[in-house]
Amino acid sequence: MNKILKIIGAVACVAVVASGIPAWVSGAEDGESSGGNTVVSVMFHVSTSSKEGQAYKKRIDAFNEHYKEQKIKAQATYIPRTSGSSANETALTAMKSEGTLPDIITFDSPKCSYYASKDILYNITNMVSDIKDEFIASSINYYEDKIYGLPVQESSAGFYYNKNLFRQAGISDKEISEYGDETPWTYTEFLSVCERLSSVCSTSAVDMRFKATTDETAPYLLYPFVYASGGEFCSKDGNTVTGFFDSDETASAFGFFKTLLDKKYSSYTVDANDFYNGKVGMFLSSGWTIPDLRNKNYTAFPGGEGWGLLPYPYEAEGKAASATGSWSFGITDNHHKDKTAARMLLRWLVTDESSQVITEHTGMISAKKAVNEGRYADGSPEAMLLKQLATTGKSRPAMVGYAVLSTTFNQVINDLEKSSDIKSFLTEKARTMQATIKDY
Amino acid sequence: MKKKKVLLDGSGNEITVVKKSSRRVVVNVIYYTCGAVLSLFFLFPLIYMLAVSTKSDASIAASAGTLEMFLPDFKNIGSMFSNYKKLFVEYEIGKYALNSIRYAIIVIVLNVIINGLAGYVLAKFRIPGKNFFTFIILFLIVVPVETSIVPLYMIVKQLLNIKGTASILGIILPATISVFNMFLFMQFFQGIPKDYEEAARMDGAGNLAIFFKIILPLSKPIVATVAVFCFIGVWNDYLWPTMILVNYPDLMPIQSALTTIQSIEGITTGEVMASLVITSIPIFIVYVAAQKYIVQGFGTAGLKV
Amino acid sequence: MTKLTVLIFAVMAAVFLGVVAYDLARAKKTHTQFHIKHCAVGFLMIGPAVVLSFVFIMLPILFSLGYAFTDYQLLTPDKVKFIGFDNIADIFKEIFSGGELLTAIKNTAIFVVCVVPLQIIMALGLALFCSRKVRGAAIFKVCFFAPVVISLTVTSYLWLTILDPAETGLFNSLLGAFGIPPQDFLRDPDTAMLWIVLLSAWQGCGYQMLIFLSGLTNIRSDLYEAARLDGANAWKRFVNITVPGLKSSVLYITITVFIGACRIMVQPMLMTGYQEHTVTLSYFMYKQGYDFGFVGKSSAVALLMTIFIGLITFIQKKVLSEK
Repeated sequence: MNKILKIIGAVACVAVVASGIPAWVSGAEDGESSGGNTVVSVMFHVSTSSKEGQAYKKRIDAFNEHYKEQKIKAQATYIPRTSGSSANETALTAMKSEGTLPDIITFDSPKCSYYASKDILYNITNMVSDIKDEFIASSINYYEDKIYGLPVQESSAGFYYNKNLFRQAGISDKEISEYGDETPWTYTEFLSVCERLSSVCSTSAVDMRFKATTDETAPYLLYPFVYASGGEFCSKDGNTVTGFFDSDETASAFGFFKTLLDKKYSSYTVDANDFYNGKVGMFLSSGWTIPDLRNKNYTAFPGGEGWGLLPYPYEAEGKAASATGSWSFGITDNHHKDKTAARMLLRWLVTDESSQVITEHTGMISAKKAVNEGRYADGSPEAMLLKQLATTGKSRPAMVGYAVLSTTFNQVINDLEKSSDIKSFLTEKARTMQATIKDY
Repeated sequence: MKKKKVLLDGSGNEITVVKKSSRRVVVNVIYYTCGAVLSLFFLFPLIYMLAVSTKSDASIAASAGTLEMFLPDFKNIGSMFSNYKKLFVEYEIGKYALNSIRYAIIVIVLNVIINGLAGYVLAKFRIPGKNFFTFIILFLIVVPVETSIVPLYMIVKQLLNIKGTASILGIILPATISVFNMFLFMQFFQGIPKDYEEAARMDGAGNLAIFFKIILPLSKPIVATVAVFCFIGVWNDYLWPTMILVNYPDLMPIQSALTTIQSIEGITTGEVMASLVITSIPIFIVYVAAQKYIVQGFGTAGLKV
Repeated sequence: MTKLTVLIFAVMAAVFLGVVAYDLARAKKTHTQFHIKHCAVGFLMIGPAVVLSFVFIMLPILFSLGYAFTDYQLLTPDKVKFIGFDNIADIFKEIFSGGELLTAIKNTAIFVVCVVPLQIIMALGLALFCSRKVRGAAIFKVCFFAPVVISLTVTSYLWLTILDPAETGLFNSLLGAFGIPPQDFLRDPDTAMLWIVLLSAWQGCGYQMLIFLSGLTNIRSDLYEAARLDGANAWKRFVNITVPGLKSSVLYITITVFIGACRIMVQPMLMTGYQEHTVTLSYFMYKQGYDFGFVGKSSAVALLMTIFIGLITFIQKKVLSEK
């Protein structure tokens, strides 16, 4: 009996292992040519099960259809980016050392300087000089005055609010419309709204995303406040942070965050679900949230109704900034020295038509001026974001050591509650940062 | 007529059974109570994990703060396993589990053979230069392995040029060599008396035959222990496979897939817990089945560091 | 890289041949012989292990130690320059100026000092508890062992949910029943590390319990009988029989738990992110090496850490063996 069991066990093991062989044998070919075609490879940072992935797939299929006669074939891989350890970046390193870097990659725009300085990205200034004016100017990725990336789409962010809670707090519709129009609200007005909201919100008045400090989310949503206060993160060339990160103006921006914490208008524990469940009055988030609010039928917003969107508040007249920046396409400096096919695919992926399709799927704003024209109804949240983008949008600093800045920013946010002297705290952090980035 | 059970000693005389003293009973009660409380301390997160895995976000919020936190979602019995269904069907967690099992099987077989043979030589053979190996083993046990992930990566990718789907070799090969297992084998084999080998040699058996036909069958505890360690190592390995197989997400083992799944937009706490349960159950089964061997394995190997 | 590998292999082969020559010479002196066929088979059998451990264990370690003397950055593996002791100098500079590295060392030290004794004592206590020869002991053994089964990743996610700072988190809702406001356990710099210590010990002690159990079975029961007859109480029996009998287990466990504790990374990474109060040495190395790309500097930290761990292990062995 024992022997039979052992044999069955052994056979089962062999069967299980053997069943994997087909998958192991078929691999993606890194072919210069496949079936007589010139293969140009592209790697996307999302999976095909996401809306964005599906959009990319459509455009790749369309490209292959269009260029079938010219014997050029695009081959796409989809490596979703995971939180915590960056699998996407590990993939790049893996491929660079293997010599299998795809011809085109997508990358998060603040990373442009880092990748460009490490010869991952290829200088495309000459390839796109004729089309660069079609883009929203601030969204093109530069490094040392050369173009290394073109945006997939643009982004903006703002304060989503719960209409019901605003009404309960006694904030009139007229007041709201004033905050959202030509001269958006100021820090003072923002604080006043928070004050009134705290009496009716069971958790906090506003979710400033102080909890989202494990990845780029918090830096992305909060960095504009530093610019709005007149502060900076680094020097123009991105190599110096001391004197910039710890300037008085930057400190005052962080001081504003601290005020929100001290007055309990926001906290480290409030998160997205609280807004969706009607416990929080305002929610700072990017345009990604619009389709979610419309379609997911959250408890506080049944049928996708009952919410609105307000812009970033101004510190004072003329002192404002809002978040921008999304992922970009770039050509890699890989082993395929002939960049003709890559150039064609890149230009295809950033046409107005591509941008239209992609942004229809993602709900984000296009980076191409023509696509945005007349696209959004007046008074719609998207229209507000578009206007904000044009008037106050400012991208994150172009630094080779952006990863260090992002990590440090998150640390500062987390330590805000306890630090009594923000400026000296920032000076300390800037000193550490400087010591780290000097090695780049 | 009730038959009373009677104890008899060797000569057929009745033995009177002494009743357990009440002191004994009290000690036992204390013992079992303490045991239960301690067990609860060790088990409550796992019970919580199981319970939450059956719930949707709404019922998690509803049961918060009450004893219901620890109970599965009996209120919605129909949807109790919907999280699991989603994981298996939509996120295809079964595929990744199978990957892990495949890699584990290969690794176990190779690991036992390669490290077993090495341990055998170190324990039983008289060869020149043996001290060199023994010393290196002791040295390698102490050095932490994590510090060498980047160079290991470069070695696999550049030196050995392991590319494409052959990257799974990058997972399997480093896992087949384990200095610790070699050490365990060595210690264990040293405890096997020479007579077995000598008898077999007199019968004309070759060295390999001796190893497979005599030594290994005698070493069931240590083989089981090593197999269990290998399985757990492969199953729980997260960072290394994520790095090596980043281009081939379909071939990833389960812990790497777990991280990807957990960062999918809109995943609920219940689904996260269900995924954790799924990854823990096989290990639990393996451990419970093999713990007797593990205790034995450590005991007989003796821990002469 | 290939050239270096060949060089390293040549050096090791030379040392090995030296040892072989020495053994052969000594054998000649004592008039014993090595049987050629026996040796040949021996070398063949140990061969695969030697090759594999050279390629996948020794080489990475040696390279890693080697990177410590270069300015290797992750995305430019082709541009590596030898810079001697610059990395190590930078490290000492940063430690003495109170930088992040010092914080990482401090946090790791706190963790190690707390978790090693805690885990060992817990394991020993549980082992003694389960060694009682009553019915339920086996069930308790499985219960205490259960947390070992789940990986560190799972443990981190699980406890993250249990310690959720919202009112609906497990602990917070229990506290709420007593009228205590919800706590942010992992954000509070005073308690975060302690919670990580607790959950790490929770997860690991079951494994050491098994080792102690096997050590206990090796102590002869007649020793206890004799002691009991001599009138020794439970505590005396414990100190004079159990403790000495477990010496080798204690040594082994202390060394392994210590080494494991020094390398902690997963728990802080997944539970708190890269924060000052929970950053540990390994996490610091990971961040420097992968996110920032400074492989050289990260390797230098690894080198110093290895030396330190090796020293402590050596000392532990000396001290605990003599007891």
